Amino acid sequence: MRGHGQLLGLYVPGQSLLHRTPLALKALLCVGASTPVVLIRQPLTTAAGLVLFLLLMTVGARLPPRKVLGALVPALPVLALLALYSWFTRGPESAFVVPGGIAVCILAARLLTVTTPGQELLDGLVRLVRPLRRLGADPERFALALSIMVRSIPYLVGSLSDLRDAAKARGLQRSPRAVVVPVVVNAVAYAQATGQALAARGLGEHAEADDVDGADGSDADGRDGA
Amino acid sequence: MIRFSDASVTAPGEDGGSRTILHPVTLELGEHRISVIGANGSGKSTLLKLINGLTLPTSGSVSVDGLDTARRGREVRRRVGFVFTDPLSQLVMPTGREDVELSLRGRIRRADERRAAGMRVLESYGIGHLADRSIYDLSGGERQLLAIAVVAAVEPAVLVADEPTTLLDLRNEQTIRAVLRGLPQQVLFTTHNLSFAQESDRTLVLDGGRVVFNGEPAEAVAFYQELCLR
Repeated sequence: MRGHGQLLGLYVPGQSLLHRTPLALKALLCVGASTPVVLIRQPLTTAAGLVLFLLLMTVGARLPPRKVLGALVPALPVLALLALYSWFTRGPESAFVVPGGIAVCILAARLLTVTTPGQELLDGLVRLVRPLRRLGADPERFALALSIMVRSIPYLVGSLSDLRDAAKARGLQRSPRAVVVPVVVNAVAYAQATGQALAARGLGEHAEADDVDGADGSDADGRDGA
Repeated sequence: MIRFSDASVTAPGEDGGSRTILHPVTLELGEHRISVIGANGSGKSTLLKLINGLTLPTSGSVSVDGLDTARRGREVRRRVGFVFTDPLSQLVMPTGREDVELSLRGRIRRADERRAAGMRVLESYGIGHLADRSIYDLSGGERQLLAIAVVAAVEPAVLVADEPTTLLDLRNEQTIRAVLRGLPQQVLFTTHNLSFAQESDRTLVLDGGRVVFNGEPAEAVAFYQELCLR
């Protein structure tokens, strides 16, 4: 399996200004600067957003430009398709504004992930959703689920690349079924394996799940015996 | 002490009936190192998964230190760590540092202390320098070492490893074997490597979902070889 961590980016250790900035401030900056770009949808705002985040990443986080632009490479095919579609349906302005807004969001998300250690992000998420505890939500579970979702993206992208190569090797590169079906099967298998790994490590389990009598043959966690 | 009391596992069969994966087994496992050998599909992994409640017995019961795996699953999993054959199934975070810190979240509240403790764990396994590398960029041996480290980080009383050396080359296999030998915990492992199986105090041989031999490793290996040649 290939590693495909580029889209959201792995944490890059460093001592830059943004590395030292508290997570809450960084998150506010990212949300505060990307929201107007998405809402206003003017070429000038989009261009300003792109320039701002490129500067934040290269100057503020001291990341090499190649690494910064590399964040957008996996999304380029989708952005190009969006640009084409927007051009035909709404004109050239939309062809820049729509994919540009998405690119800004990708850069904003990447800015957070590359300058913040994963566990700090997890702690931040737990703090963010803590008020929902009153409604019965489990902040630790929520944060764990979200971080696993983020971790799954590179896996699924890698799975897609591997299966595309496998289809090509068998001369089936023109058959979408030869790629789509195994990707779905792999995704389900991956989800099951991840669930099993979490259960094996006792992660994400409710404290109150214990001591519940599985009289019907199911266990306290609701899993079947087999 | 791990106790199987008439524990069996069945699964729905294709014809609408049920298929027996593990026939009723009664065992007491207290030795420091226990190996399990047998052909593919003989029930080895199911036997191991019963120990930390990943699989629950359809009939009978399994307990660890007196805790029933079906009723006290969470406490059992705190005592029993599980290492999978493929470490990529087990590692759920993008880097080793984050994964080991995830293991420690339940034990250490303060982020800085957790970070330091996680680093100590990785260094104790000689993989501190790989802490921030993507798990996809690690070699098979490094990944398996990391998988053992993240499980052992929470100091379980028992460590169960399902074919931990199957995907490894000879050098990495030796490394993992040495690491497992050095663990203070009770270790149970399945393997197809018969010399590895003999690095234990007791060996179980499984065949067709039944424990057909339970005893001294050298005798168990001889029994298994004879069984395969029949």
